[in-house]
This record gives sequence, structure tokens and C-alpha cells, in this order.
Amino acid sequence: MPDHTNNGMQCNEFDLLLSDALDGVLGGPELDRFEAHARTCKSCGPLLAEAEAGRQWLKGLTEVEPPANLVNNILASTTGVDTQRLLARAPASQPRISWWEQIQASFLEPIWDLVRQPRFAMSFGMAFFALSVSLTVAGVKPADLAQISLRPSAIRRTYYNTQARIVRYVDNVRPVLEVQAALRTIKRNTNPAEPGRTKQIERKNDTTQQPEQKQERNYSQTGEQLILASVPLGPSNRDLPVVSVTTYRRFV
Amino acid sequence: MEDVQVVAMLVRRCIAGDAAAWEEIVQTYNRRIYNICYRFAGSGDDAQDLTQEVFIKMYRTLPSYDASKGAFVTWVTTITRNLLVDHFRKTKQDRMTDSMDSTSSDREDSQPLSEQIPDQSAPPDARVRSREVSEAVHQALSKISPELREAVILRDLQDMDYKEIAAVLRVPEGTVKSRINRGRAELARLLQRTYRQVM
Repeated sequence: MPDHTNNGMQCNEFDLLLSDALDGVLGGPELDRFEAHARTCKSCGPLLAEAEAGRQWLKGLTEVEPPANLVNNILASTTGVDTQRLLARAPASQPRISWWEQIQASFLEPIWDLVRQPRFAMSFGMAFFALSVSLTVAGVKPADLAQISLRPSAIRRTYYNTQARIVRYVDNVRPVLEVQAALRTIKRNTNPAEPGRTKQIERKNDTTQQPEQKQERNYSQTGEQLILASVPLGPSNRDLPVVSVTTYRRFV
Repeated sequence: MEDVQVVAMLVRRCIAGDAAAWEEIVQTYNRRIYNICYRFAGSGDDAQDLTQEVFIKMYRTLPSYDASKGAFVTWVTTITRNLLVDHFRKTKQDRMTDSMDSTSSDREDSQPLSEQIPDQSAPPDARVRSREVSEAVHQALSKISPELREAVILRDLQDMDYKEIAAVLRVPEGTVKSRINRGRAELARLLQRTYRQVM
């Protein structure tokens, strides 16, 4: 605002008195000077008119009604603040938990909850039954387990005794196995014209009792075919060992 | 406006944990605070949120109120004004409210603010209470700078005296008066251009 002097009043002074004049509290010679300045000053005159107009516009604005739920929301939000304060203080007043209770809460209770499930009880019962049957079949008696000595020397002696027993068993069985192998060789040499029989003997799926044709069909279904090859035995090479080779040929 | 002793008692009860006292404070001041927020922020939703924030802040800082330093309503209005200023800074409305007639901002296509208010043919004097006029004034109010707006709102809409406004705004009374005059004048210029009529 320019600082002009009109009718003994400066524009700054006019600006300060403007509010009082609009409020109606200005009177006497000061009001006369004020009005005279407003009439003659090119900037303060319009300012007075505009300020008065603006005041009138604002007078027309009525109070708006707050939303109906505003008070409830305020009370709820401030009550929430209170609740949070209380919750923040709450842990300090709780009794201290011992280490055993902590272990119970973190480990034992979850395990116990798992054990109490019927599925777990059934599995455990089946495992116990299988173990007891296995021990019975193996000839292990619970009474014998109590007599087992766990000293190192006793364990070592038991180990060597067991090893010697196995070696003796293999030595005893070896002549029997050799005789069986010799008999099998002789039997093959005496019947060379029965490859189907040999093939039948060496078939792995012998117990299925399925016909040969069916077996081949199954192999072809899986893309593999079992081919048995053997050296034909004539009168000249009757002493040659029979070599059977099994190959799987893939048909693409 | 308020009986100092009654309010002081109410505040003491509230600090002591009396929920009824707090509810009475909320019931007494929510309308006033909502109107200040609504006129300053320009939006009902913002005003509702801001009013809640004001009361939350009041609830937390109620023990800091000192009756000897000023009236409770002045204290409440100061909290409201500070929160509104914070809100204004956050929402970055400075560019929109710098000047009434400045050609502005990118999103308003360089049109003077006075021309952004829809032209209406109703004269302001007799039908100023109509809803359209009120809306136009409200819209114009939101276009003037925040410094002038807050002074005008506190004086012309909340009927606070200059001393109280000076305490709330923390400026001298002379500055308050000057801001009020300039705010009124800017508002009038804006609306006069809209209505093509000089009062």
C-alpha cells in the first residue's frame, strides 16, 4: 500500500483503522478524517469498498452442520487412544514366566497336541506291533536283552564270535552249492535241444505263470523287448560253456 | 463465550479420567472446530478427518492446557489452526492460492481464478443465503491465500476478537487487522468479477 497523506491521514493509518471503521467502533473526528481519506485516496477508497463487500459476502455464510457420526467417531478414536495406552502398560503388570513354563509353552505343548491325535496313536501302535513281531521271529527275547553286557571287551568278543559263526556257515554251505552248480551244468549239457525250457528257467517272471506270448506283448508295450541269445551247441562243441546274454532292444 | 471456571473444572475432570467430561468437551466444541476445518480445507471429508485429529491431539495434550495463559477456546483454536497449517503444507496447495487473479497453474489452463467460479446471475444482497451463493463464496474463500483465509475465517465466521486471533496466529494485532482487510478485499474482488456487480 502506498504511503500517501490525504486529509491528514496516511494510508498505513487508514489500513489500521479500516477494521474498526467496518466494525462501527470508529467515531468522532477520527471517523471524519478516515472518510475524507477514503474519498480522496485512489487506493484506499476502493479498498474500503472491497473490504466492506467481502465482509458482507462472508456474513452470508452460515455454519455448516457437522456429520451425524462425527461425535461418535471422535469418542471412539480418543477411546481407542486410551485403550492403546492401557494395552501398552499391560505387559509390565503380568507375572514373570519361568524358563520351564516357556519350554512347556514353546515345545512340549505342541508335541503333546500332536501325540494326542488318533492318527499318531495308530501309527505308533502299528510300529510297536511290527517291531515285536520282528523280534519274536528273530528269536530275540526281552529277557535276553537284560543280560547283554555293554562293556567294550564283551562287545568286541561278541563281534568276533558272530563273524566266526558266519564264516563257518559259509564254509559249510560251499560244498553243497558247488554240487548243486555241477548238477545244473550236467543237466544242461545233457538237454541242449530245449532252449525254450532254458529260457523258461531263466525267466525272471517265472512265478506269474503267464504264457510266453503274453510276456512279449507286455515288453513291446513298454518299448523294450527281451532277447535271449545263446550259442547253439552242436556235437563238436558240446563241452563249451553256455553263455546266455540278455539285452534289451528298444523299438522306436 | 465460555465461563472460565466451568471450563477449567471440565478440563480438570477430564484429566482425572472422567469420560463424561470429555464427551461434554467434544459436544461443545466439535461444531466450531468442524466449521473452521471445513472453511479452511474446503472439503467435508477433509474437515471430518481434521476435526478428529484435532480432538485426538487435544485429548493427548489436555494436561498442558494452562487456564492462566488464555481461554480454552483460544487454546482449542490454536491447536486447530496449527493442524490446518500442517495439513496445508502436506497437501501443497500453495500454488493454487498464491493470488486470486494470477494466471496459474498447469492444470487450470491459465485461467484467472476469478473466472473459474461459475457465473451466476443472482444478486448477492437479498439471496446471499441461497445455497448456490454460499457455495460460490465458499469456493472463493478456498482460493485466497491461507494467511488471509485463516484471519478472515476466525474473524468473520468465528467472531473472535483481534486479540484472540493475534494469540492464535502469533502475530501482532495490526497484522491481524491488515490480513483481515486484505482477505475481505480479495474475496470481494473475486466474487465481484463473478457476479459482474459492485456492491
